Amino acid sequence: MRRVIERWSRDQVLSLAPDAASQKAATGVSAPGKWSGSGALPDVVWGECKGSGATPYRACVDLSEPAYKCSCPSRKFPCKHALGLLLLWASDGVPDGGEPAGWAAEWLEQRRSRADKQEKQEKQEKRDGRERSAPAKAARSSGGSAQRETRVSAGLSELERWLTDQIAQGIAGAPQTGLADWDELGRRLVDAQAPGVAGSVSRLSRVLGEEDWPGLLLEEYALIHLLAVAHRRTAELPAGLAETVRSRVGFPITREDVLATPWVRDEWDVVGGRDEEQDRLVARRIWMQGRATGRVALVLSFAPIGQALDASLVTGTAVDASLAYYPGASPLRAVVAERHGPVAAARPAGTRLSQVPGRIAEVLAGDPWADSWPVVLEGVIPSKESLMDEDGNGLPLHPAGGALWRLLAVSGGHPVTVAAEWTPRGSRPLTVWDEESQVVRL
Amino acid sequence: MSTSWEDLVSTALVGADRRSASPGEVLEHAAVEVVRARAGRRTHPDRPPAPAMEETRPLASRAAGDRLARMLGGDQARLLPEWLEAAAAIGVRVPAHLIPGLLDLGARDRSIRSHLGALTGARGRWLAELNSSWRYLLAEAADLPSGDVWEFGTSGDRRVYLTALRATAPGQARELLEQGWEKETPEDRAAFVLVLSERLGMDDEPFLEAALDDRRREVRQAAADLLTRLPESRLARRMAGRAARLLVADGGGLRADPPKACDSTMERDGVRPRPPAGTAQRGWWLQQVIARTPLTFWTGHLGRSPEDVVQSKIGDWAREVAMGWTRAAILQHDPRWARALFEVEPLTDLLAVLPPEEQSARAAELVARHPVDGQMIMMLGGVARPWGPRLARAVLKKIVETSGTQPWNAGELIRLAGERLDPAMHGHVQEIPELAATLRFRHDMSKELS
Repeated sequence: MRRVIERWSRDQVLSLAPDAASQKAATGVSAPGKWSGSGALPDVVWGECKGSGATPYRACVDLSEPAYKCSCPSRKFPCKHALGLLLLWASDGVPDGGEPAGWAAEWLEQRRSRADKQEKQEKQEKRDGRERSAPAKAARSSGGSAQRETRVSAGLSELERWLTDQIAQGIAGAPQTGLADWDELGRRLVDAQAPGVAGSVSRLSRVLGEEDWPGLLLEEYALIHLLAVAHRRTAELPAGLAETVRSRVGFPITREDVLATPWVRDEWDVVGGRDEEQDRLVARRIWMQGRATGRVALVLSFAPIGQALDASLVTGTAVDASLAYYPGASPLRAVVAERHGPVAAARPAGTRLSQVPGRIAEVLAGDPWADSWPVVLEGVIPSKESLMDEDGNGLPLHPAGGALWRLLAVSGGHPVTVAAEWTPRGSRPLTVWDEESQVVRL
Repeated sequence: MSTSWEDLVSTALVGADRRSASPGEVLEHAAVEVVRARAGRRTHPDRPPAPAMEETRPLASRAAGDRLARMLGGDQARLLPEWLEAAAAIGVRVPAHLIPGLLDLGARDRSIRSHLGALTGARGRWLAELNSSWRYLLAEAADLPSGDVWEFGTSGDRRVYLTALRATAPGQARELLEQGWEKETPEDRAAFVLVLSERLGMDDEPFLEAALDDRRREVRQAAADLLTRLPESRLARRMAGRAARLLVADGGGLRADPPKACDSTMERDGVRPRPPAGTAQRGWWLQQVIARTPLTFWTGHLGRSPEDVVQSKIGDWAREVAMGWTRAAILQHDPRWARALFEVEPLTDLLAVLPPEEQSARAAELVARHPVDGQMIMMLGGVARPWGPRLARAVLKKIVETSGTQPWNAGELIRLAGERLDPAMHGHVQEIPELAATLRFRHDMSKELS
């Protein structure tokens, strides 16, 4: 089935680039003079780009996925030619119509037949998966996993003791001794196979730069302690909360297990995304919101710096897809289990700002450790320090974000729709839709 | 034990042992308090900012906006001034989300500011009120309905109003300026005096002569510059009187005798007493007196044509005299003198005094005759776009000649040619791909902005 895909903006195309260098390189090859034999159908763009060699590079993008193909040897993905071609297309520089060149048609054909095969296979797996998931869970608690459980328990009891010692003696010395202590503690937790808690411990150093660090540090210590206690008493917890505790501690969950949960099919608006570097990896967070269910989801992908990141979800577009959520009490993280096709992009539906506190309370009631949640707000007026509605309710912005001039510029003191990430320290706006419903990434 | 958050923090700081509290309980209470506070946080009362005014201009096309985004991202950034000029000419505004990037650029680069007022519209002004580094925008003109502008508008708007009035009724404009002159800020006085440079006449002389006593140096300088252009003005006659003693015919050549002092009357007429570092004091005074003397004076005083005057041998102080004439030719917009001086030394600033076709033709001659060097590139930088066909041909030939031997100079020429050639030539310069790409970019750009 073919549907018309709305032309992406330049910003949306650049958001797919694996890094800033790629953005620059793509801009360099996006001049119309570099391309020949280019064309576009509703869901595919192709063209040949003159490079330094004798034969041009052949680039083709299947917009419905999107998926990228280029004959250049670059290890970056998508490469600058695919991105350059999309930039050209975004600026109306690729003629509509025509038949894809032979090489492009061939690639598309291969993709479609592979997709069909995969679909059949996945459907089969899904049927099998339901039956297999029970034994899989059983396997988790035996053998190597049993050893892991013991190690994690030992690591977390040590952590619990360490935290109570800190509080018993006082945390006034944290600015002097904290960094070394947390480093050591984090290493031991990694050895204890509890990478989730290890990560929380390694992020403690962030509070030392803040003026109210004693309060912030106590917050973090209390929540880490709560997690250690919750893990010790997992057996007493409701199933959803127990899953939340396990995932926050850092027990891995296989994609297979995630896919074995019930899928949620909806038309999902991709409302925002952000790349962050952590530990020599780039984490790409993409937030989505379902049109019918109103549910939100976070799709997370990782790649070493400068290498291929998942570029299949473009902020401001929408996709008809089935999502499988990671189990938990306030489920948010999800994987795209099956794509059914793109749908026309539109400004997503937003909630009133006054409803945010209630929603966050619900989220925290399920998962007290939640420190990030996407919200799409309509009718908000941004100022330098907060997001407001016309009734005078205000939500503070995250203090580290600074004034968001692009957001202010798009709004100009008028109500707009904004997608933001709620955090305990304030909101971080991600995306805004302008007067013409064009998406603007912040 | 009390569980207020402040108590918990202070217990944690000094240590639970000292307060005889259980550390485990402190942590548990703290966890409850943290989650309770996060889950119970309400919105805070706040007042939204007053909204920006309605826009009066249409939005630039999407293709034009995308190109501007590319340029702000660093692609062909040197062509940005041309984009701004073309967009301002067709009366559009830029997409709102690009305004911050543009205003940041304007904060660093004054040369692009003049178009930003109109191009960023009401939204730009609204933002400039919120961000101190963008305040400069409020001094730039925007499209506002006229009428009360002179009374209530920003400095930029008032300057535009005055300029428009000057074009249609020069006398009225001056009288309007005279009425409120004492109450204007020094910055505005300096800016408004310059408006009189259009349609300047002897009617303006009394006002300008009075402005020589202004408190602000910029105002005095601007008034003196304008009076220089009026050979009948009192200032011009005083200058001629001084100049007559400073430079005299001496056989076939000329002899210069610089002033021995800079008295208060010279200073009032705009001669600056302190020379820039490295310039001899007397030479500096000489140069300035010559720069402010009507050029018509010399032909009578020396009994020679401008061409003969500039070719005459001078001896000592020749450099200062030549610089004085050059400055005078530019100040007084005198093409004949500029042409004569350019023959002796091809200075970029002199070209600007000549009509565009002549600029292009003279530059073409120079390019054809001389090897490429830094001076030629500077000179070409002063030739306004679009370059005529002769200059285009001459520069293209030079690029081809030098690309093998002097790649750095060829690179500079390619960049300049890309900015100045007629973009319609993009199809005819395929042998220089970088140039073809830039011209193609400008070609597409002007199509999007027409």
